[in-house]
Amino acid sequence: MSAAIRITGLTKTYAQHHALDNVDLVVDEGSIFGFLGPNGAGKTTLLRVLTGLARPTSGVVQILGHNVTAVDDSIRARIGFLPDVPGFYDWMTAEEFLRFVGRLFAIDRRTLDERVHMLLDLAGLTDVKTTIGGFSRGMKQRLGVAQALINAPQLLLLDEPTSALDPMGRRDVLDMLTSLRGRTTVFFSTHILADVERVCDTVAILDHGRVVAQGPIDELTSRYAERKVILEVTDAAGQLGQDIAREPWAASVAVGPTGVIEITVSDMDAARRTIPVLVADRHTGLCRMEAGEMGLEDVFVSLVGGGTK
Amino acid sequence: MIGFAAFAQKEILEIARTWRIWVLPGILLFFALTGPIMARFTPEIIHALASEQLGNFTFPDPSYVDAYTGWIKNLSQTALFALIIVYGSIVSSERRSGTAVLVLTKPVSRGSFILAKATVHSAFLAVLVVIGTAVTWGLTAVVFGEAPGQALWSAALAWLVFGILFIALMTFLSVLIAPAAGAAGAGLGVYALISIASLWTPLSRWSPAGLTAIPTTLALGKPVDAFWPVCTALLLAAGLIALAAAAFQRKEL
Repeated sequence: MSAAIRITGLTKTYAQHHALDNVDLVVDEGSIFGFLGPNGAGKTTLLRVLTGLARPTSGVVQILGHNVTAVDDSIRARIGFLPDVPGFYDWMTAEEFLRFVGRLFAIDRRTLDERVHMLLDLAGLTDVKTTIGGFSRGMKQRLGVAQALINAPQLLLLDEPTSALDPMGRRDVLDMLTSLRGRTTVFFSTHILADVERVCDTVAILDHGRVVAQGPIDELTSRYAERKVILEVTDAAGQLGQDIAREPWAASVAVGPTGVIEITVSDMDAARRTIPVLVADRHTGLCRMEAGEMGLEDVFVSLVGGGTK
Repeated sequence: MIGFAAFAQKEILEIARTWRIWVLPGILLFFALTGPIMARFTPEIIHALASEQLGNFTFPDPSYVDAYTGWIKNLSQTALFALIIVYGSIVSSERRSGTAVLVLTKPVSRGSFILAKATVHSAFLAVLVVIGTAVTWGLTAVVFGEAPGQALWSAALAWLVFGILFIALMTFLSVLIAPAAGAAGAGLGVYALISIASLWTPLSRWSPAGLTAIPTTLALGKPVDAFWPVCTALLLAAGLIALAAAAFQRKEL
């Protein structure tokens, strides 16, 4: 499978700040790729570089097989893009805006008519005749998604496409993205993990400008599940949790109200050897000790911080 | 140049649908409608208001030349200042609102974006100047009974070249300076410098600086050689558009 996006050693620096730091990323054609990261991680900066709105400080960025610094109109004609806060001409209606965007792509009139009606329907804006200046943020976001699809793009780049949507709007957009699987490469940034788990094949997690994990979701969760231990004891769970937290291999420890202790470990072998000793030292009964199941949220939190040690 | 026509069409529609249809047209139409009447009755108005202070001083009889010079002076001052202020945000407003990002990630080059704006707004100014001059011409004929066309039209067209030069200048400044007030201030500064430069005869004869005085001279019906000021102004306008496109190409959005 060839790559729709291939990024090698991308660094983007503003003054002394590395917004992106030596990023390597490959997005396969036809995949739905979730680009995760906390606010300020560098997601929008990466999308700006991909769309040619910003230049890389160093590194190579290829999009649909072309170096991004040499992307011309013919390549842009194959890309759809939704920025994080899309700007519209407030004096246009939704239909006028979609027709304007279609004309920028030189789409013939008949095809444009069909697509405009289909996309207005998808965005739930068919019967809306007011100008965009009177739209809610959600309506603008839906129009933004619609305009990104007007050229039936080969590669769809979306920056936080569901952030301003209500649950129904989110579901519609995610269903639409799912329907594109295999035909269009979808690359979307978000911090809403549930969206990624629902539609993405592959994810990358960005933190402080660096890609800290990348791969298929199942592979990622199983890889990191090997780092989680669930422990259940008869009593003294709080004290035992404190004992475990002092160990160098314990990345985070969370003690639940029923005495279940969740431990994220950096060295599973050391954990397996030491935990029974600590339980015995506390003279408490061991009910359960097993490898934990990790969701994407657990992987995300363990990689970008937020654990309790 | 894919997207040039569509974007230019958007610019035209934007003029028709927003405040742009009221400001410059309103100013020019006001001066076109009131100029000849004011020229005809100014001596009577001044006599009525200040006859005691004027004593035996008498004004020469007003003529069509007063209406013509009034129109050109209004273009050269108030209308030009309004143009500079209005076009201080011609590019930066699209960057600020995020519309430039949406447009420039489509098959529209930054050069087409700049050229479409400069072309459409220059054409818009040309239409306004032609309509305003026609209104002035017709009203002058009604009020004064005579209105030879050549002096008025040659003066108005010479000013139009100066106006187009300032649209190109403001396009360039709006790329460089994000705040609209900053770009407008710089535009007014350039106008002041050109006005001062026009005092030096060689510059006035061979450069666009000559266009600060040539329209008034033409309106008075006096012969003047406008060839080099007009040619250099058009060349400079083209150069400023090219520079604006090159500067915009280097900008990160």
